[in-house]
Amino acid sequence: MTALLQVEAIDVGYGHVGVLENVSLTVDQGSIVALVGSNGAGKSTLLRAISGLLRPRRGRIVFAGTDLAGAPPNRVVDAGILHVAEGRRLFRQQSVDDNLELGLYGARIARSNVAARYARVFELFPVLAERRRSRAGVLSGGQQQMLAIAQALMREPRLLMLDEPSLGLAPIIVDQVLEVLLRLRDGGTTILLVEQMVERALEIADFGFVLQNGRLIGQGPAAELARSDIVTSAYVGAKQHN
Amino acid sequence: MDLDIIPNGLAAGSLYALIAVGFNILYRPTNVFNFAQGDLVMLGAMIGASAMAAGAPWVIALAAAAVFVGLIALLENAVAVAPVVRRSSVSHAWIISTLAYSLIIDNLVGHAWGPDPIRVDPPAPLSTTTFTVAGMRTSSYQIALIVGTALMILLIERFYRTRSGKAVMAVAEDRDAALLRGIDPGRLSRWSFFLGGGFAAVAGLLASPVLYASTQLGPALLIKGFEAAAIGGVGNNRGALVAGWILGLAEALGGSLLSPGYQQASTFVLLLVILLIQPRGLFGQPEARNV
Ligand SMILES: Nc1ncnc2c1ncn2[C@@H]1O[C@H](COP(=O)(O)OP(=O)(O)OP(=O)(O)O)[C@@H](O)[C@H]1O
Ligand SMILES: [Mg+2]
Repeated sequence: MTALLQVEAIDVGYGHVGVLENVSLTVDQGSIVALVGSNGAGKSTLLRAISGLLRPRRGRIVFAGTDLAGAPPNRVVDAGILHVAEGRRLFRQQSVDDNLELGLYGARIARSNVAARYARVFELFPVLAERRRSRAGVLSGGQQQMLAIAQALMREPRLLMLDEPSLGLAPIIVDQVLEVLLRLRDGGTTILLVEQMVERALEIADFGFVLQNGRLIGQGPAAELARSDIVTSAYVGAKQHN
Repeated sequence: MDLDIIPNGLAAGSLYALIAVGFNILYRPTNVFNFAQGDLVMLGAMIGASAMAAGAPWVIALAAAAVFVGLIALLENAVAVAPVVRRSSVSHAWIISTLAYSLIIDNLVGHAWGPDPIRVDPPAPLSTTTFTVAGMRTSSYQIALIVGTALMILLIERFYRTRSGKAVMAVAEDRDAALLRGIDPGRLSRWSFFLGGGFAAVAGLLASPVLYASTQLGPALLIKGFEAAAIGGVGNNRGALVAGWILGLAEALGGSLLSPGYQQASTFVLLLVILLIQPRGLFGQPEARNV
């Protein structure tokens, strides 16, 4: 398999505080890669560095052959990486339709294809089709998460990054969301999934990485990782540090 | 009671609404309240008035003022706003930096023009000559000002229904989330400063046939525009229009019932009462959630 994204030995931090140290990770084309680790391990920080919200101090972020380290977020989006941030960051004052339209901001796409993009996300998340005129802020948590993913999908990303999409959702909704991720992967979208529900994440993932206190402490095929004790030790280890 | 207070109040209120909308245009993508807005308005009036005094027709003078002040506002964004916002989106250093910019403009304009007000005639065929309809004394310029302001503000609100407009609102609500969707807040801020500056110039020149163009125009209109923005809900343009009119009417009413000296006081009392009851203004939206 060919690598779509290669993060090579990056250091990332906030101001003078370092968070990630010498982190490398590879995401193969057409796979689901899970990134797990305890609270504060640096998972969101890694996604923020990839999407250009944070500039790595060192290292490269190679996407489809181009180094994007330090590129502004709009260039990262143009390259085809879409990041669904932690906490369902929608434009809550705007309608479902407007949020989806904003997913197309700056996209070079023919007018005739726009309707097909809406149709596609409504097919994946039928409940959104019933709420098109509602303000995003009044949707249920599950619907908001679906809208956040749908907004990113409007852009037809090559790499979709999701930060804890299951957070605060009912189990049945989590099932639906994970089901959609599998369908997307089968349709050719590559996915980098950050999750606290480690077992569920490794269930649908092809490969996994384990982050602890800003360093990568393990990786492997998802099924093997699920059986090994490295994941549990990551959580226990982090607790001992805290 | 004198019915003239209605057209007078609405005309003055329209000017306040225009200033408030200028505030809002800059506020939306930056969350910065531009303290130099009054000076941009004044600068627009002075440039337009001078251009007309030199023989330029109204439209040309208006366009020249709008473009020039737009560029001055763009410069303000570059030196006083963007560097501050870039460093931290929650810092309030812009209060100082936009105030400083306002003082600089104020100083330069004082040197360039001196203290004498410049008279500006309304564009033909409009005039400030009064006539009476339905028991109210008004002028064609007053009526055009009231109607024109409403139309301009509705037009601007239509812009915010376009994709670019929605992107501005997205930045206002959640800058990081907007960045993650490929929206470039810096670019939208530059456009907003240019257009907001141009809008300030238009407001200043439109005020001139009523108030004269003078270096004193800035502070007076700044306060009224601020009041209208606060009453209408910061960031809300329709709210600003209604609030401007309410303010203008309250001011005219206070002036006629009590004495002209109470005009300022009556609008301040109104502002305080409204903000006590509705801290976000009459049409303010609930604070955007920031996680
Ligand atoms: N904006 C910030 N400024 C300074 N430090 C931050 C900031 N955001 C996160 N950190 C710190 O960086 C470290 C990693 O945080 P990060 O949010 O990446 O962890 P995470 O793995 O996503 O955790 P969680 O599972 O709780 O979301 C933590 O120690 C956190 O305190
Ligand atoms: Mg996180």
